[in-house]
Amino acid sequence: MSAVWRASRAAVKRRRLQAFVIGLVVLCSTTTVLLALGLLDVATSPFDKAYAAQRGPHTVAAFDPAKATPEQLAQTARRPGVTAAAGPFGQSVLDVPKGWLWMPGGSLRVVGRADPGGPVDRVEVLEGRWATAPGEIVVAWPSAGTPGTELLGTTLEVPGSAPLTVVGFAAGMGKSADAWVSPEQMTALRPATAQMLYRFSDSATQARLDAALARATAGLPEGALTSAHTHLDLRKAFSSLADAYLPFMTLFGVLGLLVSALIVGNVVSGAVVSGYRHIGVLKALGFTPNQVVAVYLAMTAVPALVGSAAGTLLGNALAGPVLRIAFSGIETGRAAVGGVSSWVSVVCLLGMPALVVLTALVPALRAHRLPTARAISAGSAPLTGRGLRVQRVLAGSRLPRAVSMGLGQPFARPGRTLLTLAAIVLGVTTVTLATGLTSTMLAYSEAGRGGGALVRVEAGGPDNGRAAPLLGDARIEERLRSLPGAAGVRARALAQVTLVGQSRPAFADFYRGDDASSAGRIAEGRMPGAAGEVVAGPAFLTQNGLRLGDRVTLALGGRQTSATVVGELIEGNARALEASWDTLLPLAPDARAVEYEVRLAPGADARAYAAAAEATDPGLRASVSDAGNTATTTVVAFSTVFTVLLSAVASLGVFNTVLLGTRERRRDLGMLKSIGMTPRQVVLMTVTSVAGVGAVGGLLGIPLGILAHRLVVDNVGVVSFPESMKAVWDAPQLSGLLLAGVAIAVMGALVPARSAARTTIAAALHTE
Amino acid sequence: MTTDHDTARQVVVRLDDVHKEYGDAKALDGVCLEIHAGDAVAVMGPSGCGKSTLLNMVAGLDRPTSGTVEVQGHDLGELNETGLALFRRRHVGMVFQFFNLIDDLPALDNVALAAQLTGTPARQARRRALELLDELGVADRRNNYPATLSGGERQRVAVARALMNRPALLLADEPTGALDSRSGEQVMDLLIDLNQMGQTLLIVTHDPELATRCASRLVEVADGRIARQSVLEATA
Ligand SMILES: Nc1ncnc2c1ncn2[C@@H]1O[C@H](COP(=O)(O)OP(=O)(O)O)[C@@H](O)[C@H]1O
Ligand SMILES: [Mg+2]
Repeated sequence: MSAVWRASRAAVKRRRLQAFVIGLVVLCSTTTVLLALGLLDVATSPFDKAYAAQRGPHTVAAFDPAKATPEQLAQTARRPGVTAAAGPFGQSVLDVPKGWLWMPGGSLRVVGRADPGGPVDRVEVLEGRWATAPGEIVVAWPSAGTPGTELLGTTLEVPGSAPLTVVGFAAGMGKSADAWVSPEQMTALRPATAQMLYRFSDSATQARLDAALARATAGLPEGALTSAHTHLDLRKAFSSLADAYLPFMTLFGVLGLLVSALIVGNVVSGAVVSGYRHIGVLKALGFTPNQVVAVYLAMTAVPALVGSAAGTLLGNALAGPVLRIAFSGIETGRAAVGGVSSWVSVVCLLGMPALVVLTALVPALRAHRLPTARAISAGSAPLTGRGLRVQRVLAGSRLPRAVSMGLGQPFARPGRTLLTLAAIVLGVTTVTLATGLTSTMLAYSEAGRGGGALVRVEAGGPDNGRAAPLLGDARIEERLRSLPGAAGVRARALAQVTLVGQSRPAFADFYRGDDASSAGRIAEGRMPGAAGEVVAGPAFLTQNGLRLGDRVTLALGGRQTSATVVGELIEGNARALEASWDTLLPLAPDARAVEYEVRLAPGADARAYAAAAEATDPGLRASVSDAGNTATTTVVAFSTVFTVLLSAVASLGVFNTVLLGTRERRRDLGMLKSIGMTPRQVVLMTVTSVAGVGAVGGLLGIPLGILAHRLVVDNVGVVSFPESMKAVWDAPQLSGLLLAGVAIAVMGALVPARSAARTTIAAALHTE
Repeated sequence: MTTDHDTARQVVVRLDDVHKEYGDAKALDGVCLEIHAGDAVAVMGPSGCGKSTLLNMVAGLDRPTSGTVEVQGHDLGELNETGLALFRRRHVGMVFQFFNLIDDLPALDNVALAAQLTGTPARQARRRALELLDELGVADRRNNYPATLSGGERQRVAVARALMNRPALLLADEPTGALDSRSGEQVMDLLIDLNQMGQTLLIVTHDPELATRCASRLVEVADGRIARQSVLEATA
């Protein structure tokens, strides 16, 4: 073994640059793969992951305490199929007045729980503390972030009992309660229901969950189970945006994996193939075929190990910030997106060297079978077929000889040329896709943001707990219009309406005034113009089974009006629809605007306007809106990171191919220089030898990239882009991309070409 | 040959106190040498004594550590890489022990290549290449690739390539070293013919027969120095 080790060490030493390139390619690839896998890991199921981490209940069941005793209910936890259970907890429904905390009023589902932890449904206390004594209540905070501490201490009157004081705010993804009190307090509230929380071994579908619950409650008296809801309902309601970005992220992840594997394969097999002559010498020295294979594996495995270790470190360092940026545009509720799971690092650390050894094995085994004599004369094997004819034609062409020789070189090594081509195609595809997505996203974020800054002026009212304006609705609008800098004012009223026939309420925005900002927000159809016309985002339409032209009936406070869906917005909340003010009038004749959106003239001072607006009426709050679209950030950040990494990997792959080719041709280059080829001609020849491949790669990669872009923009479900945002390609941009392909190749070629031009001819010829 | 005649002939190569060191090893250690137009100089000596190094200096393939090398009036030390390449194109042709042909090109294109580098159109370059191959007796091999040629044939193609740009000086480093005796003899005859037509030759060899048959002057090198120079009787 020691001879093998010494030979491989010597081989690595003599090919220091090559070993360095292998190491660097493996490093970049490992980083890319790690990010890609981490991304796929996180993006596959952000809800499921966070839900599992909180041990969220698969089923929340309500029982009638008059029919089943607490002991009987506790028994259900030990039934087969139940992996964990909590309860029974007493549950009671309290009435809350309109405007209590942030609530629109109605009922509050309160559960008595001694502590927020436990085997199921770990509730996170966001502010204050858990309710432990009678008279204390902890209220669930429904969205991201925290409500702050100001609202702690708010009290809730309970008929026939002492008032409850808010001592904490908490959040649980299981949504098992709207508020919690201590068990003693719950007893005082005389619970009408007993709550059990279950986690089952099989929770994939509604049918299986139903079956599992039936099995668990089989021993209970008839009618004891009154209702149940499952995590599948929650998952559906969970921001569909996360799912919307999946095709996009998955594509980048898969592309990253593919390009990396390909380039590593290219680089490693290239290293082995270029060593054929060396293999012949080793065999002539008496190395057994197996020893030769061992030398070649060791030669590639050492830099690969170093590269993958460094790449794993770098990838882990990058993953945190990259994933955070990536998910900043996606509303994940309480699901935190952190770093990369450790299995990803393990896979990279073991998988990349394994991939390297595997790709080295194929050509190494070919070398194993190669007869010694042929291996020694490997370089001088005559060409056959088409490659020759191409060389002939080029030799006779009018092109400068350095150029025509360069153009002929790819045909001399068709196998390697194909690998290089694949690397360039994938590189260009990636760059094309990334540029396309970036253009689409920029167009998208520009939509509805034409002209100057946007100032939002909010009117006080019961919903936000502030004093109502003194001026009337119409007067405010008029004042805002007359303030210096205003270019357009749009008033908005918000109402929680019911879509007749649907159980969930919808939030409807009604607009009045200038709507310059709505241009470009519509994906299909048109914006509502007259009474009885509504529009909504794709999520709303799909979830309610609506299409353009469908009629709906809106109900509010006992009044109804019917409307037609006339347009689909690019995006929108799954529970929100929009209509014009005229549609609101039959529902609420004296509704007031809650907000005025003021579009300023370009260049107008937004802060000054906001101050002037607030001075108009004490009931107004103005804020300058710089709605930098976070979804855009996500896509642009991701495109950039992957474009940079993949371009680096692709360039290194090309660099390596040219490096090997140049090394193989050292003797030829020495000879060419001895007959008078100038350094410039050497560079020209070497660069043309890859520029042609680069151009072909560009020509193939661009349509693939355009196709991939199409695929992505058509499948991002929640955002439905209008055609104008999908057709982002134009001639200058496409030729720029073609140049990018050539540039990647030339960049990879330039360094070894330069060094080839500089090598002393005597040294090159001496190698004989 | 009279002294008058000697000075009248143009100096093609002048080496003045040339030293070449590779690290600590001295490959050339103060070499002075003059070669005149029409000379056929054979450089002899044991392996590793610095013969190839000397030839490389003259061809501008390598630079001396110190001393000056002048060829056809050009001080090679004053030329940059590009200048050296242009110099080689115009003034020297080289023949190597191991031929150094381009494997991917047929014989004809290997020869034509030398002219094409200077911008000669392909058609014209091929015409001259064919003439040369014909003169050297390998015209029928013009479409063969190097791998399918015999050693002697390869060396004749290499000589043709070296002559392509009508160099003032033909350099040959052990041109028969890789050939069997019959092929070696043919290449030798070729070189003699060329010299008789006025071609200046500098041949490195350790084959005494090649040296005595081809050369008009013999330069013996030992340990990087010129140990002895002698003028040979012209062969009949
Ligand atoms: N590129 C080089 N690097 C280091 N040493 C060299 C190089 N070329 C030649 N030498 C050394 O210089 C000396 C002369 O070599 P060379 O001129 O090739 O001898 P020869 O007379 O056999 O042609 C030798 O000792 C050789 O080892
Ligand atoms: Mg030698």
